[in-house]
Amino acid sequence: MIRTIIGLVIVLALSAIVVSSVSDYSMPSELIGVGRGYTEQGVNDTGSVNLVTAVVVAYRGLDTLGEVVVLFSASTAVVLILTLIPIGANPTPPSSIVAFTAGILPGAIVLFGIYIITHGHLSPGGGFPGGAVVASAFLLVMLGSNTIPGKSKFLTSIESIAGLTFGLLGFWGMLTLGQFLNNLVLPAGSPGRIISAGIIPLISLAIGAKVASELSGVFASYRKAGGEK
Amino acid sequence: MIPVIIIGLGVIMLAAAVAAIYFKSLLASIISAGVISLLASVIYLILGSPDVAMTEASIGSGLTTVIFLFALHRVRKGKSDD
Repeated sequence: MIRTIIGLVIVLALSAIVVSSVSDYSMPSELIGVGRGYTEQGVNDTGSVNLVTAVVVAYRGLDTLGEVVVLFSASTAVVLILTLIPIGANPTPPSSIVAFTAGILPGAIVLFGIYIITHGHLSPGGGFPGGAVVASAFLLVMLGSNTIPGKSKFLTSIESIAGLTFGLLGFWGMLTLGQFLNNLVLPAGSPGRIISAGIIPLISLAIGAKVASELSGVFASYRKAGGEK
Repeated sequence: MIPVIIIGLGVIMLAAAVAAIYFKSLLASIISAGVISLLASVIYLILGSPDVAMTEASIGSGLTTVIFLFALHRVRKGKSDD
């Protein structure tokens, strides 16, 4: 009872603070500051039609590199903890519906994921969501089989190569144009074409491969640890 | 019309969040938490940010839910008395 009242008081106090701080806030009628700069010069600066990708990969590429590092350390920690658990026996076989779906759908899902990754600079999407979609296809394959996934050198090497590619593309900009992750070491091209926007498509590919392989690795280690004794 | 839809979705999200705490079954709580992310991605889409909506739908409501389900499965296996 006391705890409920204390919780209620805290929530009410917090909402009072929030309401008082945003009470004089109104929707701006036009973009100001850095947002205005991005929308006015984004396409000229980067050649990317999708301004969100332009911000995420070109203007704020260093943040994305940090995000990739965060994901890398998180997945490494998860896999490390899960390898402490002894590998279980084979999981229970999937139902016929799951087995049938896992036989036909993953190809289409992987194709859609690759589309999201490669068209990141043209349409909504990019490396992170595309990589997650590709990883979900691998998850479906895992759920459709009744054996535990084996060790894969392939996954880890893809992961390493992708991470290395991201870093090296950054240093390429540093060596040629004097700026880490400068987008225009490759020509911006004509906006709207699939081969345009400097190194954005390459970085999208690297991020997509890294996210897909990392998440697949996490799923695989969960699947190994989740088997019956 | 759009504010009404957003407010309705927000109310459902709040209800799902409260339900996730009070459900007796952990499985129901996990599904309920996934519903929150799914509705959030719909709201992002209505507000005009398909990039964020796509990420939220694939990672927030898809992969996170699956990882929680895997972890729940694993925890249940480890426990001897249910």
